[in-house]
Amino acid sequence: MASEAGAADFQPALRLHRSSWLFALTGSVRQLVLPLIAILVFGARRDDEWFGTPFVLTIFVGAMLIRALWHQWTYRYGFGPRGLVIREGVIFRNVRQIEYSRIENIDTERGPLHRLMRVAQVRVQTSTGGKPEALISVLDLGAVQEMRQRVFADTRPIAEESKPSREPQLLHLPPMELVRYGLINNRGMILVAAGAGFLQQAGFFRVNREVIDQWLHTSALTGVAGLGMAMQIVLAVLVVISALIAVRILSVVLALITLHDFTLTRHDGDLRARYGLLTRIALTLRTRRIQAVHQSESLLHRLFGRVSLDVDLAGDSGGEGEQRNSKRMKTRWLAPVCPTAAAPALIASALPVFDPAAPPDWQPLAPGARSRIFRRGALLSLLIVAGPSWWYLRGEAVFSFPIVIALAGMHAHLYVKYTRWALERDVLLFQSGWLTRRLTIVPRDRVQSLNVSESPFDRRRHMASLSVDIAGGSAMSAGVHIRYLPADVARRLAAALHATVKG
Amino acid sequence: METAHVDRAVISVWRWQGVLTTLIPAIWAFGLVIRFGVPGLFAPLLIVAVGLTLSWVWPEAYYRRLRFGIDASGIAIERGIFWRSRITVPRVRIQHTDVSQGPLQRRFGVGTLKLYTAGSRYTKIELPGLAHAEALALRDALLAESGDSGV
Repeated sequence: MASEAGAADFQPALRLHRSSWLFALTGSVRQLVLPLIAILVFGARRDDEWFGTPFVLTIFVGAMLIRALWHQWTYRYGFGPRGLVIREGVIFRNVRQIEYSRIENIDTERGPLHRLMRVAQVRVQTSTGGKPEALISVLDLGAVQEMRQRVFADTRPIAEESKPSREPQLLHLPPMELVRYGLINNRGMILVAAGAGFLQQAGFFRVNREVIDQWLHTSALTGVAGLGMAMQIVLAVLVVISALIAVRILSVVLALITLHDFTLTRHDGDLRARYGLLTRIALTLRTRRIQAVHQSESLLHRLFGRVSLDVDLAGDSGGEGEQRNSKRMKTRWLAPVCPTAAAPALIASALPVFDPAAPPDWQPLAPGARSRIFRRGALLSLLIVAGPSWWYLRGEAVFSFPIVIALAGMHAHLYVKYTRWALERDVLLFQSGWLTRRLTIVPRDRVQSLNVSESPFDRRRHMASLSVDIAGGSAMSAGVHIRYLPADVARRLAAALHATVKG
Repeated sequence: METAHVDRAVISVWRWQGVLTTLIPAIWAFGLVIRFGVPGLFAPLLIVAVGLTLSWVWPEAYYRRLRFGIDASGIAIERGIFWRSRITVPRVRIQHTDVSQGPLQRRFGVGTLKLYTAGSRYTKIELPGLAHAEALALRDALLAESGDSGV
């Protein structure tokens, strides 16, 4: 009990870096900047409001500065006998103790300003995910190093960030690869959509009719009007194509910035990823936290002969609402893009139990699966297509039905062809999807729960679905969900997986 | 794995729940009839008839399909009348367990055992209708051996 008392009495004494307030302040100002711009640009119609703004702004920033300084002065952390102790606040005091053995990760994130001041924002992660993790902003690099040493002293040797050359490098993405990645994943589209959403919120699209009218009567547009139908269509197509190209270019630029110098190294059995041009991110992927590896291969991936690999980490799922969403936004890349041939070795580095050399013993779906998928697809799409096609085509709608049926047939054929599973000694593999092919590999000892479900349609054809739940994924995409299995196979597979989980 | 039924008393709980759930739309519909006159009397009567029939038949049928089994490896729960499922949770994967009891359940002496896992899709797995004492015993038995982190 003496150590218990000692743990309770322990007072953390270490402080944040003396420039912490600066980062707290820039953080809160950044949160304010967009709404502020919106107010200034779109909201300030009347002059008297405009003149009031600087005052409000000063008060806001002043309050934030005080809050930032208060946070820096009152924040203490320390290495207690049993865990990391963090104390916040003086009036409303919050003391948090995070046991050393529960700490899974100490990740750092460094923006340009952080790098200039030689400090880092530190994220302490536990396997629970969600609330009990700590965000320490900011510590100088020496303090981060010390924290890594103290926390992982008993669990693993010291992490030496200063000597990355000693770590075997598993993957490095040169700019050419990042260009490919940008072309494939098209993140620019998301940015454009977000920007459009923001402008919509700010009332940009409500702008006055006069401006548009004026613009419509400019000489350039009257010239277009004189071009004739065919030329106008060509012009429209060209505009659309160039917009698409612009979005792709934006994606490439984004990829070059966010994933600049992506390096995956092995470090005492764990993996470490470093990337980013402006904000440099160092993530440790502890192999014992990795719950599953996903490989995805879209049409563009196949064109370039590449695949993408990401992992599910324990502790990523927990949390509520927004926190959960923001966490899921950040995919845990094993390799944003890598040559198809290099994928098995990378998967094996993340999942030591996976043997890339042994060809999996692939198993198909139930024999009746194809006809079921076909009937289901044909029926559903006929229901959807029937209304509109009758509306537009009347009697000729009949001709659209063979096309729908042919498409449903193709879908069923390809679905069955590209869906397969394999139960190996240590892992469960599941491949699905024909347009974007996905491969999920789950170590058998990571299974959380199993669900064999049978709908009335399943039972008529003696089929069943198997859900294998794992930690760390989102509720929609987590684990493996195999439909159209023979019922007895599904039950045997569930029993086999259940039996392997020993903990 | 040997499976068994839960306590029969849960049928009464579900039937009462069914009756109470029927009352809400029924009262609302009767209110509309009083407000707008007799011709629509058919609708609330239909609601009552369907509601009471379902309240009588469904719990019995659901009870028949609800089975659970526990052994050294973990717990299995089978349920569902039309959409049937069998959920199995390895013992070491159970993070923590709850036994909860509503007012109706207290009246009939049954409780719901809730199992929490670190999973993503099925983080909470419920087994309703256990006799309260049995639910408590199960909770203790399931927790006794799982000292692992569960991930």
